[in-house]
Amino acid sequence: MGFLTVLRKMKQKEKEMRILMLGLDNAGKTTILKRFNGEEIDTISPTLGFNIKTLEHRDYKLNMWDVGGQKSLRSYWRNYFECTDGLIWVVDSADKRRLEDCMTELHKLLKEERLAGATLLVFANKQDLPGAFPAEDLKNILELDKIKTHHWKIVWCSAVTGENLLNGIDWLIDDIAARIFTLD
Amino acid sequence: MSVVSEQCKYQNKLIDTIANKKVITPDDVLRIPNITDTYLCSPEANIFEIDFTKFKIRDLESGAVLFEIAKPSSDSNDESDNKIVETEEAIDPNAGRFVRYQFTPQFLKLKMVGATVEFTVGSRPVNRFRMIERHFYRDKLLKTFDFEFGFCIPYSKNTCEHIYEFPNLPPELITEMIASPFETRSDSFYFVDDCLIMHNKADYAYNGGLTA
Repeated sequence: MGFLTVLRKMKQKEKEMRILMLGLDNAGKTTILKRFNGEEIDTISPTLGFNIKTLEHRDYKLNMWDVGGQKSLRSYWRNYFECTDGLIWVVDSADKRRLEDCMTELHKLLKEERLAGATLLVFANKQDLPGAFPAEDLKNILELDKIKTHHWKIVWCSAVTGENLLNGIDWLIDDIAARIFTLD
Repeated sequence: MSVVSEQCKYQNKLIDTIANKKVITPDDVLRIPNITDTYLCSPEANIFEIDFTKFKIRDLESGAVLFEIAKPSSDSNDESDNKIVETEEAIDPNAGRFVRYQFTPQFLKLKMVGATVEFTVGSRPVNRFRMIERHFYRDKLLKTFDFEFGFCIPYSKNTCEHIYEFPNLPPELITEMIASPFETRSDSFYFVDDCLIMHNKADYAYNGGLTA
């Protein structure tokens, strides 16, 4: 194998991104994943494990992992941290009762050493529901301004209508690319 | 002729050596230059009770589901269903390890497809679960998938969809593949901690809807 081939191979490998999607159960992680990939969303049941999609988007190879959010599964989340470039935290913006739980779990995650190098995108999902908190309010409720360790952004979206999903994911990819692929 | 038989001898020797090893690794199967004649592990090697429950292929451009097959869930009470499964297993211990796909020629013209597998895991946690799938037409390697799922949660149900551009095959090869049903074949190898625990096979025809 020639030097150029090796270089090209390395570059190809560099263009891979691993994105981990977490959040409380029923936040809409699987619906976001399926909607983003143009799949039907009418038969989604609680995830009792993981859903992975590998795809090409804007010349990047994205490996997207959606891991179930039920309480019994959360202790397994740490098995998926390794090599994560981007973390998507999905929030059910209309589930007021569990926002505190949501905040606690998020801030716990951000202390994880193996997620230290990851960009954080918070999706304020279910904006199509009446009574959903706007992203600006959620930023305060989830105390996002306290985050100094990660690049982060909160973006409103609706997985059901598909609105704003692409904006959020494109910001995430741009931020990761600017951090890791700057040598190109 | 002699070159071919020499090559065959070499390949058979390689596969013999690999099949006699106690532990078969990803590097071993990546070295095999063709479809294997035999299964490189027994069905009992799957001590993690990993069970494939669904396969699906969709066309990303039209959104159409081109192929979907799901195993009936094991808690189904339908007696006649259970009976059929049992007789099949009695006849061929490899029945669950082989799938035959019949497609139309249009299949080879697809640009972007998504291939989904769904699988369940038994009571033990699974570490570094990895799949290597190799597709051949006769002895020509068409595509290799090599993907590490990583950790799998005990009693979990998981899905993985690979969305990919269909390999750009030369028109002569496509014509040949359509004219030679079931000579396009694949080996799927599954590893836990770099040790082969499952080996499945499939073959493919692309002459569906054509009269012979």
